[in-house]
Amino acid sequence: MSRTLIGTRIRERRRAKKKSQSGLAQEVGISASYLNLIEHNRRGIAGKTLLAIAKSLEINPRDLSEGADQGLIDKLKEAIAKNRHIPAEVERLEEFIGRFPGFARLIERLFDLQQQQDQNLQALSDKMNSDPFFAEAIHLMLSNITTIRSTADILQKNPHIDESLHNKFLSNLLKESERLSQTASGILEHFEQTNSNQDKLADQTTLDTYLESNQYHLEILETGAASPNEIIEELEIETEEQKNALSILEGYQTMAKTLPLQKFLQKAEQFKFAPLELAAYFKTDLRSIFYRLAHLPERANLPNWGFLECDGSGAVLYRKQLTTLSLPRFGSACPLWPIYRSFSQPMQPICALLDMPTGERFLTYAVAQFNDFGSIGVPGTLKASMIITQDYDQLIAKTALASLPQLAVGLQCSVCPKQNCSARRATYILG
Amino acid sequence: MSKSVLIVEDEPFILEALSFLLEREGFTLSSFSDGEGCIDYIKQVKPDLIILDMMLPNISGMQILENLRNSADFQTLPVLMLTAKGQRRDRQAAENAGASLFMTKPFSNDEIIANVHKLLS
Repeated sequence: MSRTLIGTRIRERRRAKKKSQSGLAQEVGISASYLNLIEHNRRGIAGKTLLAIAKSLEINPRDLSEGADQGLIDKLKEAIAKNRHIPAEVERLEEFIGRFPGFARLIERLFDLQQQQDQNLQALSDKMNSDPFFAEAIHLMLSNITTIRSTADILQKNPHIDESLHNKFLSNLLKESERLSQTASGILEHFEQTNSNQDKLADQTTLDTYLESNQYHLEILETGAASPNEIIEELEIETEEQKNALSILEGYQTMAKTLPLQKFLQKAEQFKFAPLELAAYFKTDLRSIFYRLAHLPERANLPNWGFLECDGSGAVLYRKQLTTLSLPRFGSACPLWPIYRSFSQPMQPICALLDMPTGERFLTYAVAQFNDFGSIGVPGTLKASMIITQDYDQLIAKTALASLPQLAVGLQCSVCPKQNCSARRATYILG
Repeated sequence: MSKSVLIVEDEPFILEALSFLLEREGFTLSSFSDGEGCIDYIKQVKPDLIILDMMLPNISGMQILENLRNSADFQTLPVLMLTAKGQRRDRQAAENAGASLFMTKPFSNDEIIANVHKLLS
């Protein structure tokens, strides 16, 4: 604790004990003027004098010297710094804590709550940004709004247009308004459904948020500076989620050990990030290479890979999203994606270009590998993994790209406008 | 002779509004509501400018643009890309693919007309 706060606390305690300054000074064998300097925080105090004053004031010396922890001071300083528009008397902060410890704790608590709520809002915002339904619905709403804006502008600026045209535009306005209402209702319905999964989402947020905020590259695990358990402790992950979080972080740790970053990067650049060549060089399976590629540091010269892993039921086990492509959390992606096709041909890698309805194109590799080989009469279980990138230009020559299979796929049926799709299992709800 | 503009847009009401605006400006118009057949038409008719929606059924606007830019005859054909996705990455992708201009929805009528004139001047 800062020495200045000790003086303030001594003064407050002395007043509480209804002792005069001169009386206390006499009891502890110092001059009243020196005690006055101490109480006004102009002199430091420690050792015998501190013990004597504490004894005289019937208080544990630690309560004088350590009563208000540095954490409280730092937290209030942080609160002041984040609210610069309020001219708080920062130079009198320690005096304030000393005189009004209850109010100081209250401010600390309110500031903590504000920060927690900010983080929750950020997490919610991240969820919305990574929700394929929401992305598609917003896209559709912008189209609705374009029609309404453009048509209304025409009607307003052209009052004398042909009556049939005028009526046609009015009709368009009405229909598009109805579509806009339908889209808005769809969003509402979607979020009502999502609320039923909210607890699960919330439980998964801590590690997800941590991974996302680190762009899925954990330097401390790469270098061995921290263990998975230390990260879990640091993040205060709830007990019921710890097992899953530990499994993910241990998986990362194993990858960092078996495919060390620098050596992998060197070879990856040499092989132009081709997973099959890398798997052959490192004598490992493709899934490990996919996972390594998805956890490279984010640098301009490195391709940014998304990653999706699911079991035979299609349930998503792990994912790394791309900012340009939302990967599902609850296993309801487009069945045309190669990751699902890979289950029909275990151990056979698939490489393809994916064309999304949004006009974006992605390069993807997928493979299904045996999780276990079963036993006599019991088939083995499979896990499929897929990596996906939009940075294919820097990986594959244009001529080679042209020879790759091109698959027109979607995101989720409910938000996919693709017509006459044999894989459709749900109605397009935004049309 | 008036300049010809092709609009490739799958939203029918946006297409109607754009058609009205451009016809009023004196352009000769043609339109497609999806990407299929559009490339052959462009190569045959050679419009002076294309307004191309990025997200189209069957063949995306980006694929149409890439196809055109791979042909020597259409390297400089003005193409105004429209999209409801306005992220920097989308803009960059459109520019890389050879879009002359990129506009995000919702756009203003005045703005799109001004841009059409600018690209044709």
